[in-house]
Amino acid sequence: MNSLSPEVALSRISPELRPLLCSVVRDGRVGLDSSSCLRITDLKSGCTSLMPGPCCDRFKLHIPYAGETLKWDIIFNAIDPELPPDFIFGEDADFLPEPSELAHLVSWDAGKPECLLQLVKELLQQYHLYQCQRLRDSSRLLFEYGSLLEDPNYGHSMEIYAGRKNSWTGEFSARFLLKLPVDFSNIPVYLLKDTALDPGEDVALLSVSFEDAEATQVFPKLYLSPSIEHALGGSSALHIPAFPSGGCLIDYVPQVCQLLTNKVQYVIQGYHKRREYIAAFLSHFGMGVVEYDAVGFTKLTLLLMWKDFCFLVHVDLPLYFPRDQPTLTFQSIYHFTSSGQLYSQVQKSYPYSPRWDGNEMAKRANVYISNTGLEKSQPQSHFKTSFPQFFLRFQFFSRFLNGDYLEDEQLRKLVNAKIPLANFNALTNNKKSFVTVFINLY
Amino acid sequence: MGYSACAKDCGLGAYVSIMAASISGYTFSSVCYHSANSNSDHEGFLLGEVRQEETLSISDSHIGSSEFLNVIEVHNHEPCTQLFSFYDYAGNVNEENLNRILKDRRKNVIGWYRFRRNTQQQMSFREQVIHKQLTHILGIPDLVFLLFSFISTANSSTHALEYVLFRPNRNKYNQRISLSIPNLGNTSQQEYKVSSVPNTSKNYTSVIKEHGTEFFDKDGVMKDIRAIFQVYSALQERVQAVCCEVDQSERVKEKIQEEVNKLKEEITLRKRNSAEEERRLQEAAAVMLPDNSALPDSSHSSLTQVVLSGPSVEPSLERPVNSSSPPIYSTTLPPDSPSAILLPRPQAVGSPGHPSPSLGLGNGDGSSSDSLNRQATGQEDQEDDDEDSSEYENLVSEQLQPPSLTETVLLGRPATLWPDGDAHSPPGS
Repeated sequence: MNSLSPEVALSRISPELRPLLCSVVRDGRVGLDSSSCLRITDLKSGCTSLMPGPCCDRFKLHIPYAGETLKWDIIFNAIDPELPPDFIFGEDADFLPEPSELAHLVSWDAGKPECLLQLVKELLQQYHLYQCQRLRDSSRLLFEYGSLLEDPNYGHSMEIYAGRKNSWTGEFSARFLLKLPVDFSNIPVYLLKDTALDPGEDVALLSVSFEDAEATQVFPKLYLSPSIEHALGGSSALHIPAFPSGGCLIDYVPQVCQLLTNKVQYVIQGYHKRREYIAAFLSHFGMGVVEYDAVGFTKLTLLLMWKDFCFLVHVDLPLYFPRDQPTLTFQSIYHFTSSGQLYSQVQKSYPYSPRWDGNEMAKRANVYISNTGLEKSQPQSHFKTSFPQFFLRFQFFSRFLNGDYLEDEQLRKLVNAKIPLANFNALTNNKKSFVTVFINLY
Repeated sequence: MGYSACAKDCGLGAYVSIMAASISGYTFSSVCYHSANSNSDHEGFLLGEVRQEETLSISDSHIGSSEFLNVIEVHNHEPCTQLFSFYDYAGNVNEENLNRILKDRRKNVIGWYRFRRNTQQQMSFREQVIHKQLTHILGIPDLVFLLFSFISTANSSTHALEYVLFRPNRNKYNQRISLSIPNLGNTSQQEYKVSSVPNTSKNYTSVIKEHGTEFFDKDGVMKDIRAIFQVYSALQERVQAVCCEVDQSERVKEKIQEEVNKLKEEITLRKRNSAEEERRLQEAAAVMLPDNSALPDSSHSSLTQVVLSGPSVEPSLERPVNSSSPPIYSTTLPPDSPSAILLPRPQAVGSPGHPSPSLGLGNGDGSSSDSLNRQATGQEDQEDDDEDSSEYENLVSEQLQPPSLTETVLLGRPATLWPDGDAHSPPGS
């Protein structure tokens, strides 16, 4: 049966039981995987059909656990709503927890709305212990479990599901779901904001499936809460190493943990670096700053002028800055391309080193953009670089369009420089007439 | 051996391998009625008894194997008025409350039941907890649990009452037992079965007690049966007695038959002898005429001696004749059986041969001569007549002859040989 939305479920449940179910449906997060909520399906009633109104008092609760979904039947009695519920644990017919371990059952208080949720949590703990006991069928997996249990980092945040032995092949499978103790608190908030739903707690879960008791087929998988995944660059950016054959979890899990931690650290550092970079640019270019990303420090736009030619420079800082080089995009404020966009040119290869600090990078960029020093020192070479060429080109065009003509000497130089071909559709509003200019500069 | 092995596998004291259950129709309907009329879940206890059946099967492949069948019979039920009436939130059973509900019927408990609407046919968490405790408290190793589920479709058009009987105390997964309800089915094609579930109604018991004495005696056996048995016993006794009588009479008959045979032999012998004697006499008469009269005497006397001595040799033959004979033979023998004993006649040779007429040979009418004549003719006749009867008569007449007659017979004619077939008492006797 399709799961019911919480509101629908609440409307059909008997009024006296509604508060209990409310806390389950709205706030119900149990287990390690807090991102998925508890679901309710199959609402039925234990009263006669003559009973009017909403009188459902029994339902099926779907609980995520260790990568599986447990389907437990919870049975109340609408006539006696103060009585504690009964449970049917689905396919786990052998699971019989000790009632004395369930504090919220022994002292059941129907007046407390969170009583049911707490009881479910206690039952889940007992279920976990029950599954751990089932690991006794495989000494290898039991060893794995034992070794993890001893480690304080992982021992307390572990869910184990020991699959049923396959009666045909005698296989035994188990799944370990571990919460990795990675600190995500320092991840900048901006990275985590792009999620539609309430992301909940940021968590990284490592699921390791053992398809056989001898641990020859092991399939690890990393689950991150959506915001974290986005913050770290998407699922493609994260590749965990394969489980080494003959290895064990106590070695592998810390490895994965370290990897994740490193990535997180890198992201955090990147943020700070970017911030530094932008700050440096701001201080260098001061009044030339058009806008910049003040939250994530990923973009910066400058408006610069070189010999009466104004242009925009967009700086895009990648996620893994400073490892990855920022992209500089030069954009004319006068000219459009044939597709109607402002003419721009992307520049990725310019002198750069990740080891420079923000100030150094800003200085070098300034040099590169203005190119005043280079122009004087190497009169030939600057033609070979596209940046001054860029300026010259547009300078020429602007003058051309304004009616100026270049001196022969400059034109000659341009022609001799063998500047790569470029086609331009220049449209200017300065002239009264519409002029289309095709310039071949080669 | 396999018996104990099975018990070990079970892990409990229960030795049985198969279980069957039956519930009477009225109990089942009563439970359903109570359950369906409750507005929530409902529970109660099942009362009844458990009996064991052993089936021995012998086949060619293996030497006999015995199979034990545990049959649970549900006679009655005890519904609980509300939930949690004998247990608390944690599922701990309160023995006091339990006793209050069950009262004196605690020993009849064989299981308990629960009714739930719209739930799975599986034992729930609390039910399992309670079941374990009930098993322990009531001391019933094979306590059963009957689960009723009432499933309704969404628009209440179809309702299904499903029931499953569990046997949760087995080590394996909850074992389900088939519950049969006698006569719930098409009885037009099947026989109406008399259930072995006894009637536990108090009214029934009191009526039977009141009127039972007309049909039953103090031991609880029907009176008719006892009467018939008595008739049978009497008949048996009579038959036995008759058998004895028949046996005795057969023996007597056998003995008498032997006697008869012997006497027959004697008679034939005597006849032969007398025939020879006759011949000799005739031969002698042909030779010596004057001594004709004397000769027969001597010869006769010798003959009679000879003849008479014959029977005396066999005393056994005389005894039954002389003793008080059994009434069976009373018709053939004269009522006044003479006590005449056949004695050898001490008649010497040369004794007067004229018999006094007063002392006749037999009859007073002087038929002695006749008798003589008749003797000859009688002899001849004897040969022609039926041997048995004539010899018999002769035998009788011989016996009848009184001793006085022997003295008076001068002619020496044996008075034994009577021509006629009547058994006459000799004259003068």
